[in-house]
Amino acid sequence: MKEKIRTILEDALPLVDLDSEFLLGELDSLGVATILLKLSEGFSIKLESSDATPRNLKNLDSLAAMVEAKLASKR
Amino acid sequence: MILEDYLRQHACRTPDRTALVIGSKSFTYRELDELVSEAVDSLSGLKRRFLCFKAAPSVDFFASYFACHRLGVAAVPVSKEMPEVHLAEISAMLESCSIPPRTADILFTTGTTGKSKGVMVSSRAIVADASNLVSAHGFSQDTVFVINGPLNHIGSLSKIFPVIMCGATMIIVDGLKDLNVFFEAFNYPSSKMATFLVPSSIRIILQFAEEKLASLASKMDFIETGAAAISVADMETLCRILPDTRLFNTYASTETGIICTYDFNEGGCVAGCLGRPMKNSDFFITPEGLVACTGDTLMTGYAGDPEKTSAILRNGVLYTSDSGVKDEKGQLHLKGRSDDVINVGGFKVDPLEVENAAMGFEGLADCLCVPVPDSLTGNAVKLIVVMSEGRTLDKRSLALYLRGRLEPYKVPMRYELAESIRRTFNGKPDRKSYVG
Repeated sequence: MKEKIRTILEDALPLVDLDSEFLLGELDSLGVATILLKLSEGFSIKLESSDATPRNLKNLDSLAAMVEAKLASKR
Repeated sequence: MILEDYLRQHACRTPDRTALVIGSKSFTYRELDELVSEAVDSLSGLKRRFLCFKAAPSVDFFASYFACHRLGVAAVPVSKEMPEVHLAEISAMLESCSIPPRTADILFTTGTTGKSKGVMVSSRAIVADASNLVSAHGFSQDTVFVINGPLNHIGSLSKIFPVIMCGATMIIVDGLKDLNVFFEAFNYPSSKMATFLVPSSIRIILQFAEEKLASLASKMDFIETGAAAISVADMETLCRILPDTRLFNTYASTETGIICTYDFNEGGCVAGCLGRPMKNSDFFITPEGLVACTGDTLMTGYAGDPEKTSAILRNGVLYTSDSGVKDEKGQLHLKGRSDDVINVGGFKVDPLEVENAAMGFEGLADCLCVPVPDSLTGNAVKLIVVMSEGRTLDKRSLALYLRGRLEPYKVPMRYELAESIRRTFNGKPDRKSYVG
């Protein structure tokens, strides 16, 4: 999961350090929107602005946890 | 009168009315006027005819901006993310050029020759822009305008003008990174809320927070968009979820000022329609099919560059690179651009500037910067890269290298490795063959 997210985001956001422990600090508004969009498309889930919290956008682990939770709620 | 005379007038007549809200702090007209007076005192020893400062969303920005105008010094607000090396270059360039009297602002915008150009805007043009927006969009003392974009960009900066002219209120939000903060601004107790959103911001909001925007229908007086093309689908969605909100698509640029506007919630969702000229402006279409503008909102010229100025501004007419037509109702319809400038969500990117910056990257032999379609910003910047023999492309290193030399929105987000760049018969890069 984490590696799939890395692959998706590496391509879309080349300026962002995906190993950062404070990913949100690396992003502008377009970066945040790009993450929501790419993860929505990549995992066929629905992400909204309320998902773009500092907790969810902390690092790759927290992004993976957010995606896992969305996938679980679909099942 | 200059804009700051209106500020003083409101500070006298309605001193306790809120002028400015930034985060948890708010400033009445009296308080803002006092802060400007303090800034005037601290800047009064300034020897230069201009002051460069970063356009951060802070009360200091507003105090400095208005103080410059009161002192007759040109305000030069630059991107808060502008690399220091560029800021120094701009200061040095302005030191060596003559700045006409009554120049209120010098705004740096993308040029077509690889260097950003300083657009000089007079205090008269600022008042004409303000008056255009007040009468066309119906700003009043009750308007509460949420400014969420960069304050060095005409789209957001120009909203300060009608707010101050009317004695209205502005709320400053630092971009749309946290949409929750943007929406919290609309908790302000008013039924006359308004905002400006570039089409890419509208796309982001409709994609991730359509219901939240719809919930503001009863208090959203108007939304203005502009700076790039908005899709008919997004126009239609806005009309559906905000049936009573006036929705304006406006034609403006740093060079022309604010020229035309069109309420697509009243007139219908027509792609590229930007309406009729506002009260202080007019336009016509040249025989070549390009938009030419007249009126009090036009720039004075490019700082230190009479040659580039006369290339587009002659006898009170500003000749743009926008292709357009005028319909039987006198409305402007835009058809695209006649040059290579790439519009990324309302920000103009000169591909030559990007290519020139990239050519300094070690191991890079050739490159070409082109637009590619993007679902959020309309266009994204792509760099096609040819590496020297034996060298490999490290996308992230190249992106970081460019980030140190360009403003963030100019840094390509897409990269493609190529064997060579196609060229035309006379050796120029064949851009057209790479663009849709």
